[in-house]
Amino acid sequence: MQTKRTTFRSWWLPYLLVAPQLAITLVFFIWPAGQAVYQSFLREDPFGLSTTWVGLRNYIRLFDSAEYLASFETTVIFTVCTATLSMGLSLLLAVAVDRMIRTASVYTTLVVWPYAVAPAIAGILWWFMFNPSFGILTYVLEMVGYDWNHRLNGEDAMTLVVLASAWKQISYNFLFFVAGLQSIPMSLREAAAIDGAGPVKRFFTVVFPLLSPTTFFLLVVNINYTMFDTFSTIDASTAGGPGQATTILVYKVYEDGVKGLNLGSSAAQSVILMSIVIALTFIQFRFIERRVQY
Amino acid sequence: MAGIKLSAVKKIYPGAAEPAVKGVDLDIQDGEFVVLVGPSGCGKSTLLRMIAGLETVSDGEIAIGDKVVNQMEPAERDIAMVFQNYALYPHMSVRQNMSYGLKNRKMPKAEIARRIDEAAAVLEITPYLDRKPRALSGGQRQRVAMGRAIVRDPAAFLFDEPLSNLDAKLRLHMRGEIKQLHQRLKTTSVYVTHDQLEAMTLADRLVVLNHGRIEQVGRPLDLYRRPASTFVAGFLGAPAMNLIEAEVSGGALMLAGTALARGLQAEAGRVTAGIRPEALRLRPAPGGNFRLDYVEELGGSRIVHGHIGAQRIIAQTDLAQELSAEMHAELPLEELHLFHATEGHRLSMGVSQPAAADPQLVGA
Ligand SMILES: Nc1ncnc2c1ncn2[C@@H]1O[C@H](COP(=O)(O)OP(=O)(O)O)[C@@H](O)[C@H]1O
Ligand SMILES: [Mg+2]
Repeated sequence: MQTKRTTFRSWWLPYLLVAPQLAITLVFFIWPAGQAVYQSFLREDPFGLSTTWVGLRNYIRLFDSAEYLASFETTVIFTVCTATLSMGLSLLLAVAVDRMIRTASVYTTLVVWPYAVAPAIAGILWWFMFNPSFGILTYVLEMVGYDWNHRLNGEDAMTLVVLASAWKQISYNFLFFVAGLQSIPMSLREAAAIDGAGPVKRFFTVVFPLLSPTTFFLLVVNINYTMFDTFSTIDASTAGGPGQATTILVYKVYEDGVKGLNLGSSAAQSVILMSIVIALTFIQFRFIERRVQY
Repeated sequence: MAGIKLSAVKKIYPGAAEPAVKGVDLDIQDGEFVVLVGPSGCGKSTLLRMIAGLETVSDGEIAIGDKVVNQMEPAERDIAMVFQNYALYPHMSVRQNMSYGLKNRKMPKAEIARRIDEAAAVLEITPYLDRKPRALSGGQRQRVAMGRAIVRDPAAFLFDEPLSNLDAKLRLHMRGEIKQLHQRLKTTSVYVTHDQLEAMTLADRLVVLNHGRIEQVGRPLDLYRRPASTFVAGFLGAPAMNLIEAEVSGGALMLAGTALARGLQAEAGRVTAGIRPEALRLRPAPGGNFRLDYVEELGGSRIVHGHIGAQRIIAQTDLAQELSAEMHAELPLEELHLFHATEGHRLSMGVSQPAAADPQLVGA
């Protein structure tokens, strides 16, 4: 009889096999995370010559800082806009593909492409298209009478980063939405059609509610994505500007720590972000356990 | 309520080599219970789904009542359908499931409530009205699916193998309920199944389909007694009719050198003989034509497996029947069915066979 348990001949082999993974986690996650927590209680001068223990003062100072609170607000706006836009568009595409799934493979491949593009490239791509001097979309906007300039106009800049970030995430959302739609039995939609619900009503009263586990999962993933993985997109397109218009929390960590060398404050910000991720992950796992809730 | 009329209805799925339905004509009367039966893949569901409007009609015409419905949406056809997997909306309670179709049609709330209460009482699902489908057993889900159809009070009910997900006992029970329900509501019904017993017991009229064509239409007993082809003969009845290669010569049905039946007025030559297992008369006789292989006990009767010459034959006998290794098999002439040896259609034997009589209820 074959059992699931694998027996190793030498006791050290299993440890050796997991060691690289453990080492990576330790060196690149646990250790820096610990460092950040420790650092967030210190104040250090930029040259690293003197270090003082300041307790929670870095945190208190952050929540007193109008700039930090503004960055919070920017993050919320950015996250809500990006997640809504990206999930909305991918759901639309997924519904379209779901209607013709047999002929859809080419189409699916095209939709999935952006996912393979590095975030920084995505940023530059959109930055090019919206470049105030030679961008093609700027040109089009100018023809309809809109003077686009994301270097001066904060709202334009926000639109730019939202577009670039949402575009990149569409593929991921799309794949999950297609899979979710495919798992809804055809007969439910047929029953609804016989029950007198038109396509739109059918979608909102039958399909969308049954898609809610997928939607919720994606919502958490997208919030995580917009809050953290959009760093390089922003860095490559607006660099957080103009002013602070697109400085979301992660970007501020980088600005204050790497550019401003305000290490204590930057570390405190990282710790706050880390707790947000942990909270999101927790919500997600709690939900996934009970995801067959309908 | 309304009748349904199919005229030369065809269905060709895009990319399919062969049409799934190859020209079906059928006139279903108002209030009739018609069962479409046939082996898997013969086009039953396709035909039903075309009536429902879930598949387009490639050619021909479908009319419900006096309206041609080819171009109508499913919702406009005034039909209700019961699906094999029930297709209950999992996120809605039983009550919401039943009211969904009525709300979409803007029916007043009081009327909706009245209809649901009435249907729930008939189907005995009142205690579950506020449950979600996942908290119901298979049989209860089945009832809810029926309830959802009933409250609509449509011109016709369409059923696509509604009982095939239930266990044998429940299937039997629900079969009875569907029959009673139809007697009570008298709504035109089209019922698809691959189960010949279900088909025989439910149908006012039976439509046997084979490879997208109608093989035979008629009352169940008529089809059972006078199957028009070997296909129908072999499909209806359990255990299935024996279909054996035999020869007609000198007015006798010859099989392996012995006469199984005499007095035929049929053309001499090779035929396929159809013999119902319960029609075969056996008696122990050393050196007889029937060699016993083995016996299956059904409790109330026996199935006797044996062979005549090289051909396997089964007989169904009562428990009083004496058995021995060698027996004499014979067949009353009126129980014999003859079919064309290669084409499979029914051959006339010049013997008048009694048509099926309706069951008479004494004192009713
Ligand atoms: N959506 C479809 N596309 C292509 N072929 C189909 C489709 N649905 C059914 N068929 C084919 O049509 C034939 C009849 O199918 P169906 O009506 O489902 O048979 P039944 O219900 O009698 O088992 C089968 O050969 C089946 O493979
Ligand atoms: Mg079928």
